[in-house]
Amino acid sequence: MPIRRVLSINRGEIAARVVQAAHALGIEAVQAVSQADRDSRAAQLADRVVVIGPPPSRQSYLDAQLLVHTALQTGCDALHPGYGFLSEREHLARLCAEHGITFIGPAAETIAALGDKLQAKAIAEAAGVPLVPGTAQLAQAEDAVAAAVSLGYPVLIKASAGGGGRGMFIARSREDVLGGFDKASNEAREAFGDGTMYMERYVENARHVEVQVFGDGTGKVIHFGERDCSIQRRYQKVFEEAPCAAMPDALRAQLHRSAVDLVSSLKYRNAGTVEFLYDVDRQAIYFIEVNARIQVEHPVSEQVTGHDLVRLQFEIAAGEPLRWTQDQIPVKRHAIEVRLNAEDPYRQFQPSPGRITRWVPPQGAGIRLDSHCYEGYLVPPYYDSMVGKLIVTAHDRESCVIRLQEALARFEVEGLITNLPLLRFIASHPDFVANQLNTRWLEQVLLPAFEATRE
Amino acid sequence: MSSTDKRKVTAEDIENLLEVFKQSGWDEMHLQTGDLEIFLSNDPTAQGPRAATAPAAAAAPLAAPAATGAAVAPVVISAAGPSGHAPIPAGHVAIKAPNLGTFYRAPKPGAAPYVEIGQQIETSTEVCLIEVMKLFTPVQGGVKGIVREIRARDGQMVEFDEVLIVVEPN
Repeated sequence: MPIRRVLSINRGEIAARVVQAAHALGIEAVQAVSQADRDSRAAQLADRVVVIGPPPSRQSYLDAQLLVHTALQTGCDALHPGYGFLSEREHLARLCAEHGITFIGPAAETIAALGDKLQAKAIAEAAGVPLVPGTAQLAQAEDAVAAAVSLGYPVLIKASAGGGGRGMFIARSREDVLGGFDKASNEAREAFGDGTMYMERYVENARHVEVQVFGDGTGKVIHFGERDCSIQRRYQKVFEEAPCAAMPDALRAQLHRSAVDLVSSLKYRNAGTVEFLYDVDRQAIYFIEVNARIQVEHPVSEQVTGHDLVRLQFEIAAGEPLRWTQDQIPVKRHAIEVRLNAEDPYRQFQPSPGRITRWVPPQGAGIRLDSHCYEGYLVPPYYDSMVGKLIVTAHDRESCVIRLQEALARFEVEGLITNLPLLRFIASHPDFVANQLNTRWLEQVLLPAFEATRE
Repeated sequence: MSSTDKRKVTAEDIENLLEVFKQSGWDEMHLQTGDLEIFLSNDPTAQGPRAATAPAAAAAPLAAPAATGAAVAPVVISAAGPSGHAPIPAGHVAIKAPNLGTFYRAPKPGAAPYVEIGQQIETSTEVCLIEVMKLFTPVQGGVKGIVREIRARDGQMVEFDEVLIVVEPN
């Protein structure tokens, strides 16, 4: 069923992106905004703007009833959830379905199944997708030693009932296991009333890789390559790139196949991302989770494949078949996205909302900016601090890094404190340039070095 | 790149140009000569030649790989919403929508409205209903006075903070 009018229920850059994608397809766009977002770019671009509530998200962007009511009252036949907020709430998808509104995303049942981490792991396992190798419960230290030998050191020994790091330790040798097992088990018994222990392979040198997939709802699935999002702070991605240049092709093929098998087994509909841990030392991949939505970092996949993924979301939601075959989606070129945030990297990343007095993003070949900001825009204090995504593209990683350094050097923002100095520092760091890093690199290596530049 | 040469551009010229571009390692080539304009790019998502003075836009929707240079249609912005409504007369007070929803003047279809123009209300008087997905919430006046205007229309969606009723306090 073709979509005529869509309600965009997110905010920030993705809302503007959704409104523009709708317009490019000849679809009218109604933008739902909180009172704080009346002046946002999405509101300026939309055909109609509806103030759904006061600034706090709970009373606006997180109220599914309110949003579906708005969709019905404004004559929308579809709803795009963006990312974050309600994008992965089964409740919203179900409510839309019940009221005849096309939810631009996966089926409610799929969202529910993937939202439950244990269920998601079971689905992955059934589809033959590798998980982090581990054991069932271990009765005593000697059993743990035997298990560690078969898993390979280092291993992580955990309490079944555990949490918050209690009753958990890393063992790098037989001595570590024997020396720590009983102590951790006792600690778990005291803390949780249960001393049962189990073991997982510990991945010391990990990268975060993820595969962009699209399904048509009948079991046909194609992928748009992988992204490497290893540069993270407190599990928040800061840099994202495509492809994962550090991964050999044979493993990459396994990665893509695993992702496609998993979502295909669910008859997945619309856009999704399958996340994996890439164990660099063992050259293995392990399933983490599936994100049943479009992601912040989708532009790097668009840049390297030449496909507009938000547009594709609309087309799939409208019931059009996936008209691409896998061989029509070659990954050429290299793309890197960096997240510009209104936060102070010198003061514990304290958010620093305010009015933008100067906004001069870099322009030029291979430079794309996805942002809702402009000179004079007031970044409200109620939401996340991201003010834009700078995406650079070039024919290989080396030239992409140089292009990124130049683009960041030319980016001028005033009126807000941003993380630009940190982004520039990362982009010029020898480890980043050489692509020698893992998921702990930003916090353990880069940030201490960055803070040292302050003095 | 431009040329004042009046010679006609041939298909062969363009083929040669494509060859030069392929060999060059350049990202883009933009050539204008007379009526002819050629834009070549290695970027499948390129939007066509950039105007040097164009302000930075938010994520331009990506054109299909073949459709470079397509113009983006202008968008009509309709200024809907509470901000467009008439001001409140001096000394009067507005009763505003506590949330977005559908405005109803009466407790149920066919019943008498909660309030009429000219009626005296107390702060606790229920003045209307706001419905969100079949959940009906009565709205209290919050002010003592005489109802002077009923601005919201029965059965219509009102936005958050929209003026519903204007009261002259007493």
